[in-house]
Amino acid sequence: MNDEGQTMTPTGATPGGDGVPQPGDEMSGGRTSAERAADRGGSAAAPLLEVDNLVKHFDIRGGLLGVSKLGAVRAVDGVSFSVTEGETLGLVGESGCGKTTLGKVILRLLPPTAGKVNFEGKSLFDLSSRELKAARRDIQVVFQDPYASLNPRMSVGEIVGEGLYVHGMTNKKERESAVRDLLKRVGLNQAHIHRYPHEFSGGQRQRIGIARALALRPRFIVCDEPVSALDVSIQSQVLNLLSDLQDEFQLTYLFIAHNLAVVKHLSTRVGVMYLGKLVELSDADELYRSPAHPYTKALLSAIPVPDPTVRRERIVLKGDLPSPANPPSGCRFHTRCPMAQEICKVEEPPLRDVGGGHLSACHFAEEVTPLGSERTSAQSA
Amino acid sequence: MTARHVGPLLEIKGIKTHFFTQDGVVKAVDDVTFEIGHGQTLGVVGESGCGKSITSLSVMRLIERPGKIVAGEIRLNGENLLDKTDADMRDIRGDQVSMIFQEPMTSLNPVFTCGDQIAEAVQQHTAVSRREAMDRAVEMLRVVGIPDPKRRAAEHPHQLSGGMRQRVMIAMALSTDPDLLIADEPTTALDVTIQAQILEVMRDLREKNRMAIMLITHDLGVVAEMADEVVVMYAGKVVERADVRTVFGSPHHPYTQGLLLSIPRLDERRERLEVIKGTVPSPLNLPEGCLFKRRCPHRMRVCDTAPPYQEVGSGHFSRCWLTPAGEAPDVGADAEGEEAQHAAEQLTVGAR
Ligand SMILES: Nc1ncnc2c1ncn2[C@@H]1O[C@H](COP(=O)(O)OP(=O)(O)OP(=O)(O)O)[C@@H](O)[C@H]1O
Ligand SMILES: Nc1ncnc2c1ncn2[C@@H]1O[C@H](COP(=O)(O)OP(=O)(O)O)[C@@H](O)[C@H]1O
Ligand code: SF4
Ligand code: SF4
Ligand SMILES: [Mg+2]
Ligand SMILES: [Mg+2]
Repeated sequence: MNDEGQTMTPTGATPGGDGVPQPGDEMSGGRTSAERAADRGGSAAAPLLEVDNLVKHFDIRGGLLGVSKLGAVRAVDGVSFSVTEGETLGLVGESGCGKTTLGKVILRLLPPTAGKVNFEGKSLFDLSSRELKAARRDIQVVFQDPYASLNPRMSVGEIVGEGLYVHGMTNKKERESAVRDLLKRVGLNQAHIHRYPHEFSGGQRQRIGIARALALRPRFIVCDEPVSALDVSIQSQVLNLLSDLQDEFQLTYLFIAHNLAVVKHLSTRVGVMYLGKLVELSDADELYRSPAHPYTKALLSAIPVPDPTVRRERIVLKGDLPSPANPPSGCRFHTRCPMAQEICKVEEPPLRDVGGGHLSACHFAEEVTPLGSERTSAQSA
Repeated sequence: MTARHVGPLLEIKGIKTHFFTQDGVVKAVDDVTFEIGHGQTLGVVGESGCGKSITSLSVMRLIERPGKIVAGEIRLNGENLLDKTDADMRDIRGDQVSMIFQEPMTSLNPVFTCGDQIAEAVQQHTAVSRREAMDRAVEMLRVVGIPDPKRRAAEHPHQLSGGMRQRVMIAMALSTDPDLLIADEPTTALDVTIQAQILEVMRDLREKNRMAIMLITHDLGVVAEMADEVVVMYAGKVVERADVRTVFGSPHHPYTQGLLLSIPRLDERRERLEVIKGTVPSPLNLPEGCLFKRRCPHRMRVCDTAPPYQEVGSGHFSRCWLTPAGEAPDVGADAEGEEAQHAAEQLTVGAR
């Protein structure tokens, strides 16, 4: 991804309609997101995506007759945030806290239980089928598992070109040249267009997934653990690719991962989820410098430091994650929180601004201290 | 526990474990040598497929066809495990060495309770009654930090979370008080908060029981935190070995250097990550000479000849042509053929 300034020139596709965007329009490099936002008559700060009190519950059915509703897994339970054009919002949290579910609802792969998601000010849940098709083009996804997310019976050319076909690029030659260009852009050999997924390594498959997501020149990409399954040396290649593509195509990312170091590297702002709730949201550097939620602090402290001369303060949380089908009362974190008080068991803390747009859902956010670490002498054994 | 012999607990000398597949011979472990002292923790790192698991399975003598240990010695407490009968090995496993695997579910039996499985392991190695074995099982569950261990002992594996299952595995592995614990990616499938709990349990037990650990992982953070010594593997070979501070503070091998630079870190902000270009070579299509040469930024012509395994500092070994100061070797950057081979032999240490 070094051919700076070059725009994607895949097509010569039919203009207008649901067709593929033209070379030189929106996606061309060089313009700032503010300029692009101004072009559309919006202000620079207007969010591209707004998530408002989003809820997604999965019913648990069963009982003797197998039909009664026993309860619900509260996978996403009232989450609100917005993403500005051109930024990367990182989303972290332990397994099962609802990150993937949230991403899937935004992608319209799952219906919401309640709440709203607006894309460019329009509610994603009340679109006409024609508008929905356009939205699907604008919002794309890269999944975690580079093995399971690609159809083994389709060639790379078919996988990457499928969306182009669906969206009107029916000429085979055109499509092939568009796909070749995409392969080059994600650092794959163009000659491999007729190969099948099993012939590629994990990192290469992830590049195929990225090429597929880019094909329709989306504005917004949900990256759900895009590097978790990759080895470190390959992980850094893919992370660099994602940030190059973001610059080149002015992409906005929702970047989901459980590795905080990876999230911090790529993100402008970071949100932390716990049991279906957003518990903290702040500028990425600020979050690491001065976390305002005990859970975030514990997460940060749990990450092993790749430096044997540094000993970081370690907060070992008691117990396991409670079940999202039966979350604790009051603050959901109170069963494991080292700072919990009586009030935490009864009163749910709202997500509030604790200064400069730094949001935290903790009654005692102001008392959370930065994480300590010390450097041990290099000589001692 | 058997009487301690003098010298290292585990000595692996030049083992080769090869798989004879239809497509050719996969040299999964190819001339690997290292040792682990009593009570020491050795970290084994490297990317997937570099031979970490096969090395550990070789020590356990759990290699199945088409794989075979074709050369070398594996000495535990001075005795070569490769000379043992299968029956001897069953006693040694559990009694002297225990292993925990990456995926706890595949190694726990779903139809028995956790308590039963631990008690069973205890009874296999010590002559105790069922009742005593069960008490020991509950005690071990408590030791690894499982709340309400009595109730949990009566539960089946699927009733537990991933972190708890991994702790049950550790409890089972430790119930017989082994000299050596082999832990193959014990926390890779777990969340960081649960990983922190498990690592704490392992550190605790290591201190209390003076148990040695062979800790296999690709997480350099975990290694920095746990290990005394580190072995870096690449394509079936040890490419670097030293104490943990040396490996992180002054790595010699370009692969180790690349790995350390490519990880994103919490305590710094970088615009771009350094990358190691390319990918691990296919085991059926290894390059001539240095196995890392296609990805190495320092590649020279001499690298077409297999590099020496040099001692680049006291107790610090590296499989690379660069001098300890990181310069071209005395024989010259362009040396080849017999001249280069001879130079490699001269520079190679016996690695003890
Ligand atoms: N289709 C479904 N039916 C019932 N429950 C579900 C379904 N999908 C997800 N869940 C539950 O919803 C919760 C959130 O799941 P989700 O996959 O969003 O977690 P996640 O944060 O992405 O976790 P991970 O880090 O493991 O990917 C979990 O308790 C999960 O078991
Ligand atoms: N049963 C097998 N048959 C053939 N090759 C195998 C087999 N098991 C492992 N290998 C190969 O041996 C090499 C080392 O594998 P392994 O030790 O599992 O790597 P890791 O370092 O990821 O643990 C890999 O190239 C792998 O493909
Ligand atoms: S509200 Fe109470 S329990 Fe919740 S995070 Fe804050 S201190 Fe902990
Ligand atoms: S021997 Fe040569 S190619 Fe191999 S790591 Fe050393 S410098 Fe690089
Ligand atoms: Mg997920
Ligand atoms: Mg392995």
